Amino acid sequence: MQDIRELDGRGIPGGYIASEVFRTAALTQGEAVGFHPDSLFVAHPIQDRTDAEMQALAEGALEDVLDLVRRRE
Amino acid sequence: MQLPEGIIAVVKQDCPTCVLVDPVLKEIEAQGLPVTVYVQDEPDFPSVARVVDDRALEHSFRLDIETVPTLIRVTDGREEARAIGWARAEWQALTGLVTLGAALPEQRPGCGSKSVEPGIAERLALRYGDVVMPARRLDVPPLEDDVEFCFERGWSDGLPLVPPTEERVYRMLQGTTHKPDEVLGLAPPNHAECTVAKVAINAVMAGCKPEYLPVVIAAVEAALDPAFCLHGLLATTWFSGPMVVVNGPVRGAIGMNWRGNVLGQGNRANLTIGRALQLVVRNVGGGRPQEADQSTFGTPAKLGFCFAEDEATPWTTLGEDRGVPRERSAVTVFSADGPIGVADQKSRTPEPLVDSLAGTLRAINHYRLANAADVVIVVGPEHGRVFDEAGWSKADVAGALHAATRIDGHDLGMGTDKDAPSARPQGAGTLPKFREGGIHLVRAGGDAGMFSAIIPGWLMKGSLGTDPVTREVST
Amino acid sequence: MTTTLLDPTGELAPLERQPIAKPATLDGLTVGLLDISKARGDVFLDRLDALLSARGVRVRRYKKPTFTRPAPIPLIQQIAAEVDVVVEALAD
Repeated sequence: MQDIRELDGRGIPGGYIASEVFRTAALTQGEAVGFHPDSLFVAHPIQDRTDAEMQALAEGALEDVLDLVRRRE
Repeated sequence: MQLPEGIIAVVKQDCPTCVLVDPVLKEIEAQGLPVTVYVQDEPDFPSVARVVDDRALEHSFRLDIETVPTLIRVTDGREEARAIGWARAEWQALTGLVTLGAALPEQRPGCGSKSVEPGIAERLALRYGDVVMPARRLDVPPLEDDVEFCFERGWSDGLPLVPPTEERVYRMLQGTTHKPDEVLGLAPPNHAECTVAKVAINAVMAGCKPEYLPVVIAAVEAALDPAFCLHGLLATTWFSGPMVVVNGPVRGAIGMNWRGNVLGQGNRANLTIGRALQLVVRNVGGGRPQEADQSTFGTPAKLGFCFAEDEATPWTTLGEDRGVPRERSAVTVFSADGPIGVADQKSRTPEPLVDSLAGTLRAINHYRLANAADVVIVVGPEHGRVFDEAGWSKADVAGALHAATRIDGHDLGMGTDKDAPSARPQGAGTLPKFREGGIHLVRAGGDAGMFSAIIPGWLMKGSLGTDPVTREVST
Repeated sequence: MTTTLLDPTGELAPLERQPIAKPATLDGLTVGLLDISKARGDVFLDRLDALLSARGVRVRRYKKPTFTRPAPIPLIQQIAAEVDVVVEALAD
């Protein structure tokens, strides 16, 4: 999230993707740095997923990923 | 706060006089008078029965204690009288006990109260004093550096700011008797209310001392005067920004510079006062580069441009010329580009020196453009001496410069194509480069250097643009 | 201890820093995908890369040395110079 904030300050809008368990940590970090960038939370766990499962996760997330970088119509 | 009835004493153990009078307080209690002792350091120190722990110093603050011991008589919940330090006669009178403290020396001075130690007084005022400084509060996030935070918020002109904490702003506001919520005007371009508090916050960020605040307030008042046209000036594509010239006793009082390097760096008052005005433009008004501020180039002077006039010359001062007597302090705001130098190391009489200055003056903005900007000429001491020795007043010099800065009316216009149509007067002869009253002269600069500095103003002036504005400095 | 500052502005903007505006469309723009280097994230980003590219979106890929620290400034500078928008993934 620090990286998104840094890039935001340099004129590059964006967001980050994390798994569900990260939701609370993300909120706390946002409070700590005074900045809440757009974020997308995907199903947990991640570490033990197969390639096929990861790819499916990406496919399911695509529209939401686009919303991280583009104004919603 | 309800005061306890009878006798109040405020003491601290770390004070020999308070130690000396402790038995006297016990004596007052033994005589049947109710005694309450507020102690600022060691709660176990006083030997009377009723002791109040005032290590937080709230009571000392509310009782306005400057010295310990202080003895106060309270009747019907109100203070009737107080004695500062130990003085037997006073303590006897206050308590009505005619033999009180007979064994002690007649008097002993007290010590400073902990509630008025440096730094403590402000903190107590902020905590208990109903201080009102109208502004939103922002907490710097725990992981963040407070100087970086100010940058991140967009408050900075590019240089580091002094973070405007409550204590710093409170201290700054002690520099004026104006109330913090007093509105000085509406700051362009966003028409935001500019209060004394907002000026103080930006003055803190700029690095001002509290004693500079009256000058900053006067500069902001002057800049917000509609005649100055601050909105147009901050938004223009032209180079200009506000320039503040200070006159009167305040210059020396706050240590301003009117000598060597007067237009440059190095003097805290000059630099931070100018900067504070620009930070108000940026932060309160919202005038920022590449947003409302469309200046093609800007100038380093837009970080802040402020200096004092040298008033130890035979000339009248700028302040006097504009209606403020020498004994009173004033600021005048002008629109200003950066300075252009004129070197004349030959002329020993006024006429050729006027000619030298006029040559550069005729060419400012564009050599074939008349009646655009006003101009401020900072006459250095060496050039000033040439005029002074010949007995030329400021008015004499200004008149001669007006006469010497007429330009050819046939040739007016700004294009390189001299035949291009333009609003050219027919057979006009010459026209004055500057409007009446458009040449302003001030004295300043270092003793060495046969130079003067020409500071053109904004291309839009008068009813279509800006006029200089003067405001008295009030504490 | 928290440091409290007084707001020097005209108070017309919200207190908290707002993210900058996003573009209305990705047409003609470059999307940066920044891998934070946690396991499996690369597979996820590879798929996103392929999907975005199939839609005609220009994609550039980046990877930071470790997820335990902010991206090094040279990498930040490179990303800022080469893309118009950025997605960082995948924290878990």
